[in-house]
This record gives sequence, C-alpha cells and structure tokens, in this order.
Amino acid sequence: MLLRRPLATALSAGLLLLVTACAGDDLDSDSADDPATSGGGEGTSVVIGSQSFDEAALVTAMYQQVLEAEGYDVETRLVDTRPAYLGEMPDAVQIAPEYVAGIVDQLNTDANGPDAAPISTSDAAETIEAGSALLEEKGLTLLDPSPAFSANGYFVSTEASPDVTALSDLKGQQVTLAAAPDCKGRADCEKGLVDTYGIDITLEPLGYASPETFKAVLDGEAQLGQTSTLDGTLEEQGLLLLEDDLGIQPAQNLVPAVSTAFLDEHPDVADPLNALMAALDNETLAELLVRVQVDREKAEDVAADFLASADLL
Amino acid sequence: MDPGGALVNVFSETWSYLTDGANWSGSGGIVARLLEQLLITGTALALAVLIGLPLALWLGHLGRGGFLAINISNIGRAVPTFALLALLVAADWPGSADFGPYGRAGLATLIALVLFALPPLITNAYVGVREVPAEILEAADGMGMSSWQRFRRVELPLALPVVASGVRLALVQLWATATIAALVAGPGLGRIITEGFARNDYGQGLAGAVVVAVVALFLELFAALLQRVAEPVRRAPSPERGAQLSASGSTVAEAPTRG
Amino acid sequence: MSEAPVGVRSMTVTVPTAAGSAAEPSCYSRFVNEWFCWQYVEDRHEEITDALVQHIAITLAALVLGVVLAFPLALLVRRVPKLQSAVLGLSTGLYTIPSLALFPLLVPFTGLSATTVVIGLGLYALTILVRALLDGLASVPDEVREAATGLGHGRARLLLRVELPLALPVAMAGLRVAAVSTVALTTVGTLVAYGGLGNLISHGVQRDFRAELVTAAALCVALAVVLDALLVLLQRVLTPWTRAVPS
Repeated sequence: MLLRRPLATALSAGLLLLVTACAGDDLDSDSADDPATSGGGEGTSVVIGSQSFDEAALVTAMYQQVLEAEGYDVETRLVDTRPAYLGEMPDAVQIAPEYVAGIVDQLNTDANGPDAAPISTSDAAETIEAGSALLEEKGLTLLDPSPAFSANGYFVSTEASPDVTALSDLKGQQVTLAAAPDCKGRADCEKGLVDTYGIDITLEPLGYASPETFKAVLDGEAQLGQTSTLDGTLEEQGLLLLEDDLGIQPAQNLVPAVSTAFLDEHPDVADPLNALMAALDNETLAELLVRVQVDREKAEDVAADFLASADLL
Repeated sequence: MDPGGALVNVFSETWSYLTDGANWSGSGGIVARLLEQLLITGTALALAVLIGLPLALWLGHLGRGGFLAINISNIGRAVPTFALLALLVAADWPGSADFGPYGRAGLATLIALVLFALPPLITNAYVGVREVPAEILEAADGMGMSSWQRFRRVELPLALPVVASGVRLALVQLWATATIAALVAGPGLGRIITEGFARNDYGQGLAGAVVVAVVALFLELFAALLQRVAEPVRRAPSPERGAQLSASGSTVAEAPTRG
Repeated sequence: MSEAPVGVRSMTVTVPTAAGSAAEPSCYSRFVNEWFCWQYVEDRHEEITDALVQHIAITLAALVLGVVLAFPLALLVRRVPKLQSAVLGLSTGLYTIPSLALFPLLVPFTGLSATTVVIGLGLYALTILVRALLDGLASVPDEVREAATGLGHGRARLLLRVELPLALPVAMAGLRVAAVSTVALTTVGTLVAYGGLGNLISHGVQRDFRAELVTAAALCVALAVVLDALLVLLQRVLTPWTRAVPS
C-alpha cells in the first residue's frame, strides 16, 4: 500500500505530460495563418486554397511544389466546395488554382444573387474581361490561363447507347442524368441540356464523377452521367464522353487566382505559375490524372514527376 | 474580424435558417429528414428486438452462452459504427442504393444500426433473466412448473423491467447513431449538418445540430414517460436508471455503446 | 464567337486510357480495388501513421479531460448529495446528444479544431466516469469505512488511503468502457476534419477506396483492443489485491 500512491501519482503525472506533449504537437495545426508579410520572397508563408477533388488536388500539389522551389513556405487547404475557401480570399488565403468560368461565375452569383445569369462565355479572354470588375472588387488577379481546360463532360454507356457520340444525338429523348446536386438550373449542366439541346432531363443527384454516378450509368439506372472532360477512366469502364457540339460549356481553362495585394508585394510568384500553366495541356493533364484516379498514386508524387520532367522546378 | 461578432453572426444565421419555412419542407428539408430518421430508428429497434430478445431471454433461462452474451457488448463497442457503415456502403451489397422510404444507403444504414443495437440488448436481456433471484426460481420449480412455464410466468415478468430499460436505452442510442449515416450520405437529420459543413454554411450546420439535439432529448423524455406509464410500480430495488451507464460488476456490459 | 485556342467548342479530346500507364496495376488501383491490400499500407504508411497519431492524441486527451473533470465532480456529489440528481441528470442529458450534433454546437466556441472533438468526447467520457466513480465509491463496504474512521483516519486520508483504492476496480471498469467508446467516436470528428482514422474512412467511402477503408477500420478496432488491454494491465498494477474482475 505504501508504494501504491506514489506509483499511481507518478503514472498519472507521466501520462498527462506525455499526452499533452503529443497532443500539443498534433492539435495545434489549425492555427489561422497570418497574411503573408510584405517584403522578401524567401521563407514567406503563403496559403493555397482549393477544392479537394482529385484534379484540383493534383494541380494544387503542382502549385505548392513550384512555389516551394521559389523559397516560399506553402500551406494548402483543401475543402469540399469553392465558397469554403473563396470566403477566406484574399486575406487568409492568397492563391487558388481556379477555372476561368468557374471563378468568374461564382463571383457573379456571390455579388448578384444565385439566379444571376452567368457572364462567362466559351472564350477565356472574353470571360476574364467580363469578370474584371468583380475580380477587382474581390481583390483578386487572374494570371495567364492555361490551354488545358476542365469542363463538365457527359458520358453514356457504349453498350446501352451504341450510336450516340454527341449530345445533340439525344435531342428530344427522355434521359435520366446522374450528376452533382447543384447541376439543377445551371447553364453548363441541366439548364443547358434542356434548353440548348432539347433533352428531357430527369436529374439524379448522385454526385460529380462519383462512384454512384458511374454505377448508375453502367447499371442502366441513368443514361447520362456527369464527369470532367479530363476523366481518363471512361474507356476502361465502357463509357464514352459525348461531344458538346452546341457548346454549352464555358471556358474552364485552368488559371491561377492570386490576391492582388499579395501579388503586388511578391510579383515573383507570377512567372513560375504562368510557366506551369503554359506547360499544361489537356493530354498531359489527362494522363497525369489517370495516374491519380486509376493507379491511385499520390497527387504529390505525380506532380513531382511531371514538374521534374517538364523542367519547371 | 472580432471573435465575439463572428459568434453572434453564426447564431443569427442559425436562427434565420430555422425560421425559414423553405428549409423545413421539401425532400431534403428538416421535416423529411426527421421522418426518415424516425422511420429507420424505429425499424432498426423493432428488428433488433425481434432478433435479439427472444434469443437472449431463452439463453438466460437456460443459463447457456453467458460468456458470449455478456462480452458481445464489449466487442460491439470496439467497432466504430461509422466504419461498419462505410464498409457496408462500399461493398457491392448492400451498397449505397436507394432503399424505398429509407432513402439512399438505406439498407446499409439499417443493417449497421441493427448490428449496433443487438449487443447491448442481448447482454441486457440475458443479465435481466439471470438476475432473477434463485430462491424464486426454486420456489417455481417446487410448485411443479415446467421449464417453459417457469420462463413464461416467473422469469419473464421479473426480467421485464430490466429488459424494458434496455430497450428504452437502445432507442435513444439508435437515434444518436442514426445521425452518423449522414457521413456516408445516408438518410436522416445528420444530412442537414453535413451539407451545411460542406458548404461552409455554419448557420445550416448548427441548425441541423440543434434540431437533432432537441429531438434526442425529447425522445429520451418520451421514452422515460412511456416506461413509467407501462410499469408505474417499481419492483425490487432495481438499479437506478443511471446505473445503466455504470460499470459495477456484471453490469459493466450494460454500459451503452453509442453513436 | 471567336475560336480562340483556349476556347471550348467541339471537343475532340483524346484521353489516354489507364491501360497505357503503370506496368501492372497495384491491388489498390481503382479497377482492381481489393479489400485487403498490403501494397496500400506500404505506399501510404505516412498518411496512415499521421491519422493514427491524430486519433490516439485526440482519444487520450479526451479521456484525460474526462477523468480530470469527473474526479472533483464525483467527490462534490458525495459531499453534497443533493447535487446528485442535478449532476447525473445534466450529464445524461449531454450524453443523449448525438456526437454529430455535439461537435457543431461546440464549433462556434472552439472552431474547426481538434479541441472541439476533444471537448465533445471528454464530456461523453465524463458522463460514464462520474457514474463509475460514484458507483465505485458507493461499493466500499460501510464496515471498512467505519473501521478506518475508528482508526483515526481523517476525511482526506480516508478517501485517499481506503475509499479510492477500493473503488478502483469499478472505476477502472468504467474507464475501460469510456476508452473503447472514445476510440470509436473519435472517427466522427471527421466532420470538422479531425477524425483521426475517421478521416481515412471518410475519404475511402467517398472515393470507393476499399483498401484505405479496411485498413482504417481495422486499425480502429485494434486501437480499441490495445487500449483496453493496457488499462487492464494498469488496473492489475494499481490493485494487485484483486483477482481478475469479471467484466
């Protein structure tokens, strides 16, 4: 009994210390980052915000590695939806790998309400011009857009729909579409398919390029599914991406969105990011994406390989 | 941004979400999700009771399988329901298919919930029967009752308060665990929470949490009331309701698993 | 509409297929997608370790919080018995709130951080531990208490030297229950991105990544079992006079 108390005390004290030490290390990783301090590029911290789907994660990894090669201390925040990081820009989050029409239309609906007509077109330069006032008001600058673009793509099962190669082939037909829940009412999704292509759409909100969406089309529950135009998994599954021959997809070229204030203080971020944009094209990006989505390689590894081979580091 | 101001902001957003009628109606609205969750909780409870109680009560009567009946709760507690649910959804069957009124991933959720509720119900029922005092059992045998008669006329009624207590506990725990289905995009009020968090709309996320919490508390009170109505006379000093959560002796296994 | 090189008109994107990439698809690649894949564990061990460490840290922190809060609370209830129904009622009420709802309710105060998860889980553990402590202390036979008081033990010494050690078996049993429950519930913390292994489970189910799912789930169960075993060991060390307590 004499030894019991000291032993118990020692054990509990030790445990407490151990736990606090370990917990402290792991638990304090959520501290909000200060906005990058002005002056000097080396060691400056910068925060990149992005969505968490595979393609965005891959491009974010490229941004991160390119900036780290310039000496920046990069933190990435991957979230589920655009508003989740856009709200933190331009102060807490300074850079975002964006899509031309995506960011412009988002700023438009943020400013003018969810029912505002999209101001994007299928031309990247035009779209950036149309959104320049909104971008300025938000405090963001768009750098050079890439030739690579990632728009909404719609696919069918080659077995179930053998003679369909373009969306206009579905004109007048009753079609169940498996897509993201926010597909409803969008000009580049449900609305465009109904109005421009004249397809009678029933929407099943199974997700954007999700396992359920693919399964629904393969099982015949849906005839049309939504994915990215860069999706490399289609052929192996017996699926075919349909041509957007009437052009409802706006210019979704990859483009870096940078906080204007940050860019003014650190103009040296522009060149490496622009070089990265120029080096990406659809074929390359699609190949890299296959490695991430199909082979399930880590986005960081695939990005590193690409950057090394393209001599961008 | 001052933290105090942000706090007030979130609460006012929550309030406006709850007071907006549009959020209550429609297929993804609060009422629809509430009914979904009530339905799946009720079904799971009924199934678990139907499957588990007869088995456990009879085992208790026979005095067989005690080790398993008591330890199954400990085993069950170590398996996170979220993990179980995820595995069922990712498998080819039951998968994430729609299951009638139970919604997306309904069957997977139902199976996971039944598996979650079975261990504590089984342990509880088994212990309930075993705790019938030996003298009473001897008296019954002395009166010439057959095994079945003894079970039906002596053990069962005496075990009933404990069993009822267990069923009531299971109801509340099932409701709590059913909210987790939202993490696999399944049915129930949890969806309002997860959808809010996914969109960074903390007003919605919090609103969902408030509704879930309020209904949970209401269910607990309602179940307590039901139990009191069903058996207004408490028998022998059975363990205070609170002891359900305690860990003394053989009732360790009665401590609830939860979600 | 000008047909600029970056335009998006008729798309003739030739997308290379998966067949042209890796030499032989690994067992965790998308179209092989096996449930059990050691290659996944090897390739992603960093990610897995990070999640495991986060999980352990959150669980331990929550348990410590629960113990630290439960102790004075239980002693207070013993000293002031009128408080018993209030304390037990409050903690039961808290326990009734589902974890997926409790975390969001804490978020406005503690943000999207591990602290939110730790506090929430700590409150659940508190409920179990307070009862366990009270039951344990109540299980000390009156004769023993009287004998000790008769020997001249003051209140504090009575508590430390006699009551707590005798209450330990029951209290430890409660701690084991709390520990195992906490390990399981930490997974729900993925809602605020701090779910330890739950983060992997969430990712695995969203991406249909079976190897990730199975690995994370197995580690969860293993962690619970190990923690339980460690607590049993601890109990043996602290109370060697008891035989194995039936549990």
